[in-house]
Amino acid sequence: MRGGWRNLVVAGLLLVGSSIPGLAGVIQSDEWQAYRQKFLDPSGRIVDTANNNISHSEGQGYGLLLAYLANNRADFDTIWTFTRTEMLLRDDGLSVWRWDPAATPHVTDANNATDGDLLIAYAAALAGRDWRRPDLTAAATAMASSLSENSIETIAGSVLLKPGNSGFGLNDRKDGPVVNPSYWVFEALPVMAELVPQGAWTRLAQDGEKLVSSSMMIGAAGLPPDWVSLRSKPAAADGFPQEFGYNAIRIPLYLLRAGNRNRALLEPFQKNMVDAQGRVRLVDISTGSTRQLLDDPGYRVIPALVGCVLDRTPLADDLKTFVPTDYYPSTLHLLALSYARRRLPECL
Amino acid sequence: MPLRPFLLAAVVGTAGILVMQQTGIGPFGAAENVFSDASGDAAAQRPSNDVSALALNRSSAPTDTATSGPEMRIAQAHEPSLPGQAAPSVTPSRNPASTGPVVDETALRYFAAQGDTRRLEAEIARLRALYPDWVPPENPLAAVPQGDPQLDQMWKLYSEGRIADVRKAISDRQTREPGWQVPSDLLDRLQLAEAREQLVNASDIKQYDTVVRVASANPAMLTCGDIDVLWRVGEAFARTDRRQRALDAYLYILRSCEQPQERLATIQKAAELLPRADLDQLLALERTVDGKPEFEPVRGEIARRAIVAADADPTITVSATDLALVEKLANAGGTQGDDLLLGWYYLRRDNPAVAETWFRKAVARQRDAASSQGLALALINQDRPQEAEAVLYEWRDASDDVRAVYLAAIANMLALRPSPQFAPEVLQRVVAEVAKAKDSASAEQLGWYADNFNQFDTAERWFRSALEWGPDSEPAAFGLALMRWKLGDQAGVRDVQTAWAGRSDRIPIVGERSIETAALAPRERRQVEVGVAADPVAPRPVKAVAVSQPRQPIELDIVAAPAPARSPVAVGQAGESQSDRQPLPQVTREAAVSYVAQEPPVSRKTPPRQKGDRVRAKGCRTTEDPEGMSPQAALTRGWCLMEANRPVEAAKAFEVALRGSGQTRSDAAYGQSLAYMRVGLTDLAAVSATKAPVGSSRSVEINAALLSQRATSAFQNKRYVETLLALDERARIVPEPLDLMVLRGYAYMNLIRYRDAERVFRAAASAGNRDAMRGLNDLWAARNPASTY
Repeated sequence: MRGGWRNLVVAGLLLVGSSIPGLAGVIQSDEWQAYRQKFLDPSGRIVDTANNNISHSEGQGYGLLLAYLANNRADFDTIWTFTRTEMLLRDDGLSVWRWDPAATPHVTDANNATDGDLLIAYAAALAGRDWRRPDLTAAATAMASSLSENSIETIAGSVLLKPGNSGFGLNDRKDGPVVNPSYWVFEALPVMAELVPQGAWTRLAQDGEKLVSSSMMIGAAGLPPDWVSLRSKPAAADGFPQEFGYNAIRIPLYLLRAGNRNRALLEPFQKNMVDAQGRVRLVDISTGSTRQLLDDPGYRVIPALVGCVLDRTPLADDLKTFVPTDYYPSTLHLLALSYARRRLPECL
Repeated sequence: MPLRPFLLAAVVGTAGILVMQQTGIGPFGAAENVFSDASGDAAAQRPSNDVSALALNRSSAPTDTATSGPEMRIAQAHEPSLPGQAAPSVTPSRNPASTGPVVDETALRYFAAQGDTRRLEAEIARLRALYPDWVPPENPLAAVPQGDPQLDQMWKLYSEGRIADVRKAISDRQTREPGWQVPSDLLDRLQLAEAREQLVNASDIKQYDTVVRVASANPAMLTCGDIDVLWRVGEAFARTDRRQRALDAYLYILRSCEQPQERLATIQKAAELLPRADLDQLLALERTVDGKPEFEPVRGEIARRAIVAADADPTITVSATDLALVEKLANAGGTQGDDLLLGWYYLRRDNPAVAETWFRKAVARQRDAASSQGLALALINQDRPQEAEAVLYEWRDASDDVRAVYLAAIANMLALRPSPQFAPEVLQRVVAEVAKAKDSASAEQLGWYADNFNQFDTAERWFRSALEWGPDSEPAAFGLALMRWKLGDQAGVRDVQTAWAGRSDRIPIVGERSIETAALAPRERRQVEVGVAADPVAPRPVKAVAVSQPRQPIELDIVAAPAPARSPVAVGQAGESQSDRQPLPQVTREAAVSYVAQEPPVSRKTPPRQKGDRVRAKGCRTTEDPEGMSPQAALTRGWCLMEANRPVEAAKAFEVALRGSGQTRSDAAYGQSLAYMRVGLTDLAAVSATKAPVGSSRSVEINAALLSQRATSAFQNKRYVETLLALDERARIVPEPLDLMVLRGYAYMNLIRYRDAERVFRAAASAGNRDAMRGLNDLWAARNPASTY
């Protein structure tokens, strides 16, 4: 994971030094244009097209990160303005997790989602540094500080990320504490550590990796469930689909983007999350049976990327081209492609 | 238009800084830093096109009367503009004689050109806050267009509230024209607009720390030009327990802002958040508008609010002014709501008489359940439950609350002593309602009521019903046992006693009338009993009286009780052990009634709106020295203390009452002797009885009680002859109860007068007395010392 961060920093420094968009090409201009036309509302909010057109902190974070990777400052600022004025409202300085255009007020639940917070802080930190924007760096630092203070907890010796600051703890649920392994945006953690060095970021990354590893052992699926109860030994949490689902499918992407090359950790994904045609399986944790098959290239690109890293298998042609579909797979697709361009050109 | 708002805005801007300084919130405690930074940046980053615009402006403005900024402000302050009056000419926005900062008036002129007065004023306020020496242009429209269509477009987007689009336009242009600098004015405005959005959104979802944080980072937005933001900041302080800062915010508004509607709304908002004392500080800043105090329209509401608050919290005192105002409003064509508010208030404050007048007004305005309920409670609290019943009968089914009060009225009405003779139709409907409601407390009172008119059969049925509807009611069980005893139903008495064994101190001794029972028994019956007391062994003198003297035959028929299941024992057994309860020890039925009257059902049930929980206005629950009371008051207190089973204090109260004369003194002597007897101080009781002439019936009671005590005491000291002497003396004035018959039996036995002992034990045992049966056994053992088992 360090490699990932260092690489970005170097790219950013290059950018600043030469005034040439050093990350140009990481996400190509036409790709970003296609993405923004479909998912970026002029007000600056990323629209979850498959989910009643709501917005969430995760989407704002992805939008900021992609705009940064596309080196589009104008769109970054648009998204940032919306994020700041409409979602970074919490007393603790973190973002509300959900914004509904159909509700009044648009925010009906003031809880946060730490993956969204991490993504926002991460994107703001990168942009603040590379574009010399102290306002963004200050905002990222404040968020990192709040995350460190309010969202990281130590349970039975493990440093863990609360999914949200309220509702998931030991005393909040019968099966609490409950965590979501896909909320570990591994590539963001070293950046947070630079902003707030006293935070337990390194431990958080290490224990997050252990969490992914142990969550794979829960059931016959051989894959981690979206939501994990850590009441005793890891188990699929109550009240959520007990499956390797839409949340967890991005875990290998996050691992790879952070530079993780641990075969033992990555191989089960490659082996268990795809069917014979390369489609992504949503898997029943206890039985290991397929619940749903996902054909969108944005999903399929993830195990393909793992295959590239582990076996140098080139990406299929239809995965190399970005065509926007829905917000979530399209986002994952751009994150995967941008990473492959920088780090795995041999598979393209 | 131009001058007045300008001046105000200036005051506002300055004060806006002051608010945040006073409150010292946020990371930028010293707000000047924020401003000096901003002005410094503004000067440093001023783009050339702005300067040229200013230059143009300056050259086009008449300069002959130009004065320095501060002087202008003073002039304006003293002479608000008059339409048509020759206003001071336009002042250059930059004082040429000084090195003061260049003021960017781009936005100002843009808003003026758009006719956007609200934003224009807000911008002027902001600039005044930033540049205290700056004087706004007389005619912002005189500005020459800047000749930068792209920038114009940005301002247009800005004025349309499309903040994200402005940000994007700026970024786009910076990408296209790397050297292009954003006008600092635009940046500042954007920053403020975004901060405002964030603040409002945070406020909407109650993230008050964020509200305060954003406000403290952007003090320039705290101006009268945006009163809503000031209100939200005030609210954020108030809701995060920073009352003083909230008060500061509202004080600031009232000292600085001029819009009459906004000032009024400020008071209204503060009234919802601040305690009354703080609100008074705000009200002190009232001005006169058009000859009238400006806050007059909300004064009534504030006074009402004070009363509502006091209604919920008895420790709050309502000022006489507030009360007077609401009373005035209520009288001067106010609403029924005001009448009710005042009624409840006075009821809560132990002033049921005044409460009654307000509830009567409410009823007169509109006769409905709510007003009738209040009136009924006021009447109950004045010991006028009959009137309460009459008022509320019509509404008895309106709601559970109303029904609870209605039943309380009934229970209190039936508990009145001496029992009034209720009109047949009243009694009839009361009986019907009690049966319908299956109200245990009222059924119990109906039992006592029937008992009071010596209809023990009816009373027994009511007590049975009371027990069926309230299986835990010890008073009902006591009543049931007592009635059965009076009816001669010994088996029935035993059923109740068995069922309540261990759960009541007094039920087991029904039938063995104690000193206490004897002393406090109703006088009229006692008098009758005296007359019948020829045979001391008569097992049930009371029943004989009841049979021979049916005094209220007509009412008795009306108080026909329902026929409850004849299984009081089973009902009684339903309850678990109640040893933790503390029934009044050895209370007579009068005491039981008083006990109930003191805590009527309305307080046992959920009281309506938490009101009227003290249905009885007077009481003796508090500790109070009777010294200094009038003899009559002390007498009342004495009886109350007796009812509360606090005889030592009662004796003291009666001592004070003895200072009175006539009936008061007589009552006091009687009371004190009873009090002393209750604590076992027989000698003192005897002394008390001589302190004043007590009525003949009372002296009989007292003497009988004293003789009982003397007999018991003598027996305990093994002085059996004296025991018999005392008992004989007593038997000459009152019939001998079973327990004393047993005592007499043992006295005979100890004096080896076995035949006499046997006669007495047998008489008592035939009345079902267990001690007497044991006495017979003991006697047999004494006569046959050889037999062993």
